[in-house]
Amino acid sequence: MRLLCVLLPHFPWSCELQRRPDIAGRPAIVTYTEGSQRLVLEHSPDLEGLQPDMPLPQALARHGDAELIQADMPCYRSVWSRILDTLETVSPLVEDAEPGCAYIGVDGLHLIYPDDGAIIDAVRGAVTENLSPRMGIAGNKFLAYLAARRCPPGGHRVLTGDVDSFLKDLPGDVLPVSLKSRGRLRDFGLTTLGQIAALTPGPFQSQFGPEGKKIWELSRGIDATPLYPRFMEESIEESTSLPSVTVSLDAVLVAMESLLARLFDGNILKGRGIRGLTLWTRTWNAEDWKRNISFKEPAMDVRSAISRIKRILEDYPQPGPVEQVGLRITALGYPRGRQKNLFSDIRAKEHLAEDIRQLELRLGNPQVYTVKEVEPWSRIPERRYALTPTNR
Amino acid sequence: MVPDTGKTLRADAYKPVNTPEALKVEEDASGLPHAVRLKRRQVVISIEDKWRIDDEWWRAEPVSRRYYNVLLASGQRLVLYKDLVTGEWYQQDY
Repeated sequence: MRLLCVLLPHFPWSCELQRRPDIAGRPAIVTYTEGSQRLVLEHSPDLEGLQPDMPLPQALARHGDAELIQADMPCYRSVWSRILDTLETVSPLVEDAEPGCAYIGVDGLHLIYPDDGAIIDAVRGAVTENLSPRMGIAGNKFLAYLAARRCPPGGHRVLTGDVDSFLKDLPGDVLPVSLKSRGRLRDFGLTTLGQIAALTPGPFQSQFGPEGKKIWELSRGIDATPLYPRFMEESIEESTSLPSVTVSLDAVLVAMESLLARLFDGNILKGRGIRGLTLWTRTWNAEDWKRNISFKEPAMDVRSAISRIKRILEDYPQPGPVEQVGLRITALGYPRGRQKNLFSDIRAKEHLAEDIRQLELRLGNPQVYTVKEVEPWSRIPERRYALTPTNR
Repeated sequence: MVPDTGKTLRADAYKPVNTPEALKVEEDASGLPHAVRLKRRQVVISIEDKWRIDDEWWRAEPVSRRYYNVLLASGQRLVLYKDLVTGEWYQQDY
């Protein structure tokens, strides 16, 4: 299968440059946080000696005057998602490898695009001009990626026929294997793909294990990895800003409850339950936190969903004071059956809850509220309690 | 970038309780409350307690308030505070 690789090197930096043109020409480092460590995500082209995932203190030791920019991952994902949506107008088979790298299946497009040049032009038009994509067309993912990587910005390359002459002088660092394996290849004196391809596969497997076979095959341009195209998922999202920045788990939980209530009370779910959910929060210093949750049984009401959400919030603490919360439903499902409760007092509570819900539907707004503790220890009185609609 | 949900604060949104209410207060020469205007003007008989809170110093608008527990001429007790950032007076139960 022929594939086209669209490569946007330094994609996070390009996104930052688009929304902040003033940083052009200035030394800057885009950073992200992993646990308690701040690492380098991307940097301006003029800073040498930096690589992604390098610890920030190490980067600042080399370039102390660089401006630090906190990575805005939702922004990058949003821009990349828009690009992928536009690429799908060229071909329905688009794989999202990572932000800044996508593979497109081009087999069967000759009825629409007469030759490779027309496909390249269509893809170039789909990507924002300022991002200058590099494109490569080849018979598999690895070759298409290498072809794209060896292009100038905005250029393209098509690999056909014998690829040995293209591969033989490429450095071994282009192999998508672990850093440890790359280091060992250098230790063995194997610095180019041609040197690796000249040997037999047996020694590689004995030295590197299963990865050894992959190393040998890739050095010869053999890559059987299939294309995994995107498929559209129905995505329903709700979000809200908290009235004040908070570190209280209870405040975040109350906000999550009200978001779930919006989803269940409207006609959005249409009788279906939640099977998959993504929780996200945004802190006051622009860090974000995200967790995916799967439900064995579809959660048909707020109560069954919130207990699981509470455990996740307790097990995975927030990176800082929270400003915004949101949730996105990624999977829906129908329930197998609903069994009513045997005990009369619990059934009475359920009837009361249903009456309150009917009242809300008739009048259009919640009528019955519950006072919930949020931060009862707070010195600021309005932070201590919150009003939430009953049964949510 | 977090998309703007465009949602206005609705009745079903999570909202705080005991929000402060603006109040008209006359101060004496030392800045203490002398009289308050509820439905009508009432003189402050005594200040039974006062305290100060300073919080959320990291925000652009920190919380800095001086609270007073006052007894009015009508016998009503009231808790009010002066926002030390804006200089405005508010009534709020503590």
